[in-house]
Amino acid sequence: MTIPRPDWHADEPALRGLLDGTVGPVFAASLESHVMRCGTCRDQLNLMAYDETLERTWSAIRTTVQAPEPTWLERFLRSCGLSEETGRLLAAVPAMRGAWLLGVAVALGFAGLAAVFSGDLGTGLFLLVAPLAPVAGVAAAFGGDADPAQEMVVTTPYSATRLLLLRTAAVLATCAPIAMLVGLALPGPDWLTIAWLTPAAAGATVTLALAPRFGFTNAAVAVGAVWSVLTVGTTQAHHPTLLVGSVGQLVCVVLAAIAGALVVSQFRSFDLPRRQP
Amino acid sequence: MSSARLTGIGKRYGRHHALQSVDLDLSPGVTGLLGPNGAGKTTLLRIIATALAADQGQVRVFGHDPTTARGRVEIRRNLGYLPQEAGFPRGFTTFGFVDYLAILKEWTDRDSRHAEVRRVLADVDLGDLTTKRVQALSGGQRRRVLVAQALIGRPQLLVLDEPTNGLDPAQRARLRDILSTAAQTATLVLSTHQTEDVAALCERVVVLDGGRIHFDGSVAELVASAAGRVWLAGERHARARHAWRTGTGLWRNVGDPPPDVELAEPTLEDAYLLLVGDHAVELEMEAVS
Repeated sequence: MTIPRPDWHADEPALRGLLDGTVGPVFAASLESHVMRCGTCRDQLNLMAYDETLERTWSAIRTTVQAPEPTWLERFLRSCGLSEETGRLLAAVPAMRGAWLLGVAVALGFAGLAAVFSGDLGTGLFLLVAPLAPVAGVAAAFGGDADPAQEMVVTTPYSATRLLLLRTAAVLATCAPIAMLVGLALPGPDWLTIAWLTPAAAGATVTLALAPRFGFTNAAVAVGAVWSVLTVGTTQAHHPTLLVGSVGQLVCVVLAAIAGALVVSQFRSFDLPRRQP
Repeated sequence: MSSARLTGIGKRYGRHHALQSVDLDLSPGVTGLLGPNGAGKTTLLRIIATALAADQGQVRVFGHDPTTARGRVEIRRNLGYLPQEAGFPRGFTTFGFVDYLAILKEWTDRDSRHAEVRRVLADVDLGDLTTKRVQALSGGQRRRVLVAQALIGRPQLLVLDEPTNGLDPAQRARLRDILSTAAQTATLVLSTHQTEDVAALCERVVVLDGGRIHFDGSVAELVASAAGRVWLAGERHARARHAWRTGTGLWRNVGDPPPDVELAEPTLEDAYLLLVGDHAVELEMEAVS
């Protein structure tokens, strides 16, 4: 039995639809039946399928070759389980770069050394620097000059609040291990290693709470100034750990809670267009 | 149909009125903003792009109110914005920077996002420089990277502040091609100091000066306003508001011509200079009176 040669051929849109799976099931069955019998349409379909495969292959090659090479920070963040997108959003912040982290490590290192060799004065210096590192990090993560592309970033639909919290969390997560490592070397009670964490959290939260009204940089400077005055005062009174003692911890927790509530109530203001250039 | 409608917009920086009672309707097509430095062009574009809040008046973009959170997000989903001045985060490649903005523009699928980034970079002729660090690019190339990020997702509203700044003539011509293509389906508003860009690209021109709109009409209408006020002569004329010696050795005088002079065909630049100059004269008269 011979199969009669068809006297018609499927046009390109129909064959393309068959390849893409966009034609209806009845038409697809009819086309398939036709293609099985028609060498011309089979050749045409093979050619189109080859083009599609070639384009997909080239697309995959281009994606691999032209994809941005992740920085060490992005690779590290991905190894910590963060997505590529989150890693890229964090990599744009100066406070997440090597130079910044090195600066924090050096400042805390000196403070730790001073504590080892100078007693109260050094401990006071460490307690001055450690909580302020995250505060400065918050300012550097979202202050006016933090992202040179800020003018474009604010006009994207991505939530500024989400970006702010993401970057703040990242800054705290990078500062804390450095300060804790230095804290391990401090003379005095073991709890001193982590005692600075509460004032650090309070300082960062108060900075976020004040930022919508005064700006990130001004808020961080104000928090830093207040903390510096208090730390210098207690150090001069030979009670450098007073601020991180039980009463100080309680005050910081209350302050952080109030500031946190303020931040939540002001979430929308972070997304607002600026009033001043 | 109006894409963006601004009514009675006012903006102050301290005592300085950057914008005063500005009414503007933007429709699909290209609208060019012309004006001297400090005229309020950038402030106006930043307000349209939701980067800055107006002190007075009402803004609606695609019917959405930018003073509400939902309205802002809806506007920003259809917006491409090129600011006058913008920097780049350190260490980013050309591809990485545009990819960064694409992520912020809610392109969550990696493959389609990368394809879109490749498309916009190819559109601005930077397809071969995707792996190069932005800091290593020339000024014109960096400007094109910024234009590329504005084109992500083929936005319905393109707000471009001096897009041709720093580009050579060939690059400007290429950019005009890209923008005119984009404007077939979108509303494009751009500011520039280059009157030839406006003449070549814009069907509508708005002249701002001192925070107010002094002209809003077609390029042809603005050019026609200078008819009979441009003449060529062997020397600079005392009645000319602006005059310069051309390559032919003749002086092109723009102002109120004396009788019996050889009138010349006005250009958009002539008309713009006259309009801004007339406004300056009006201000002087007001100050005197």
